Amino acid sequence: MTKKLTTGNHAIAQAAINAGCDGYFGYPITPQSEIGEFMSKKMQELERAYVCAESEIAAINMVLGACSTGAKAMTSSSSCAVALMQESLSYIAADELPVVLVSVMRAGPGLGYIYPSQGDYNQATIGGGNGDYKIIVLAPSTVQECIDLTYKSFYLAQKYRNPTILLADGLLAQMMEPVEFNEYPYPEIPIEDWALTGAKNRASRAIYSLEPKEDRLVERINTLFNKYKQIEENEVEFEEYQTDNADLIVTCFGSIARNVKSAINQCREKGLKVGMLRPITLYPFPTKKYQELAKTTKKFLTIEMNMGQMVRDVRLAVNGQVPVEFFGKSVGQWLSVEDIIAEIERFNG
Amino acid sequence: MIKTTEKLVFESPKSLKAGMKFPFCAGCDHGVAIRLVAEVLDEMNLKEKTIAVASIGCSVMLYDYLDTDCIEAPHGRALAAATGVKRTNKDKFVLTYQGDGDFASIGLAESLHAALRGEKVSAICINNTTYGMTGGQAGPTTIMGQITKTSPNGRNEEYYGYPIKIAEQIALCDGTAYSARCSLDSIANIKKTKEAIRKTFEVQLQGLGFGFVEILSTCPTNWHLTPQESHERVRNELFQVYPLGVYKEV
Repeated sequence: MTKKLTTGNHAIAQAAINAGCDGYFGYPITPQSEIGEFMSKKMQELERAYVCAESEIAAINMVLGACSTGAKAMTSSSSCAVALMQESLSYIAADELPVVLVSVMRAGPGLGYIYPSQGDYNQATIGGGNGDYKIIVLAPSTVQECIDLTYKSFYLAQKYRNPTILLADGLLAQMMEPVEFNEYPYPEIPIEDWALTGAKNRASRAIYSLEPKEDRLVERINTLFNKYKQIEENEVEFEEYQTDNADLIVTCFGSIARNVKSAINQCREKGLKVGMLRPITLYPFPTKKYQELAKTTKKFLTIEMNMGQMVRDVRLAVNGQVPVEFFGKSVGQWLSVEDIIAEIERFNG
Repeated sequence: MIKTTEKLVFESPKSLKAGMKFPFCAGCDHGVAIRLVAEVLDEMNLKEKTIAVASIGCSVMLYDYLDTDCIEAPHGRALAAATGVKRTNKDKFVLTYQGDGDFASIGLAESLHAALRGEKVSAICINNTTYGMTGGQAGPTTIMGQITKTSPNGRNEEYYGYPIKIAEQIALCDGTAYSARCSLDSIANIKKTKEAIRKTFEVQLQGLGFGFVEILSTCPTNWHLTPQESHERVRNELFQVYPLGVYKEV
């Protein structure tokens, strides 16, 4: 297949169309507005649903409505606007709807700015909605992965009837790389036994989260957490790079892994025993893999384009077996290969 | 031998769940409004193609009464959810049932924009001039001078500003095909309300645009009035502020 030079935003949008997305609902925000622009053209050409929503709150609730009927639907947004969607993400998790949200991170709290950043790891994996719930989170590191993981987001959302976030950043969204648009590789998941399709030749159905009876509410939450256990057992994905006999394992997610890999190559040439572990699924987090590597390595160094968010999960996983250090910068500063090598040498010294 | 023939003259609509009993307070108009919705769904043969959207407030458990498919929307977002349902299912009949707090306060943006986009959905808004489920606080439709839990001295301009005229506002939107205000205070007005609901459904089926009906309703518990006094209040006080009528019909 010939490769095509594509931005992360366009790769995500085209992949969503290939995955059979029936409806796109969104509101512009930099650095992901090109997703909505692309969809406004393509979805209308394909006579699929497209709405310029009046707000991100409206957009996520349009997706909620569409997905309740078994349609494949998505929205895309960024940082401060994903914050607006948190209430609905809690409803969507409680309702068990297969919603796909593309979250392209910008920098800083408040309005911050559009610099590349990974400041929304906590927002995606912990979330700001009410109650006990979990969202599947996938973090691409290349434009090709933007395609592959958009496909996987639709698949996992449908398979587990669970909201799924594709967590990218401004750097990945805006840069171009040669990619292959392979076909959507996953099976279609039947929706007939739960979706709202009109009560014809069957009893009426309702999808709701209100549960006044205590025992039934407990049962519902237990059902959700049994599902999360299955997700944790079956869907963990990560990339392991040169971890054999590594004394130091650098761990990171998303776009910064590209520079980490280059740094590791150079460090290996210098004879340093360094490897990398990159979680691709941020939830479910590859806890067992960290525990396994903690038996053979001497240290972990977590590198993030934020002030230290994933490092908390790494420390929980490693649980004091070996030291876990953090190196990162906020305000969207791109960590150079030289920065990373210097840090590796410091920790290795 | 005398032969008697029994004839059933009053039955529950098929679009209501069999054996269901409304849990509303004595004298509340919700039960009448939902029954009218169910009757019109039956008469227009819409039960099997309906996806109803419930909202937050006393209207929330719509799925316990209507025997159609239902989705619950977060507070104020019923018309956003309805937009998502309808845009991906153009062959379905989509209906929201909301209170005035849901429709015109927290959800005003979603409501107005659904009307402006001319979404082919039908919205019913129960206006009882208070937040009923939370115990009777001042809402967007609380009238001037009305005493509530959060307007203990009566609604005044200085602290609260003015109430919203929902049916008039929706009628201003170019995407609106029908907007009316009705009441359930008398047999004659109940019949008119049923016809307005029918019209609201028809504009959706004909693809003309957004259909809306605001229904002035009682909240005897929070108004601290008897059911009879409550309907008198609707006539004597609310009709002055919220005149009945059809505000738009294309």
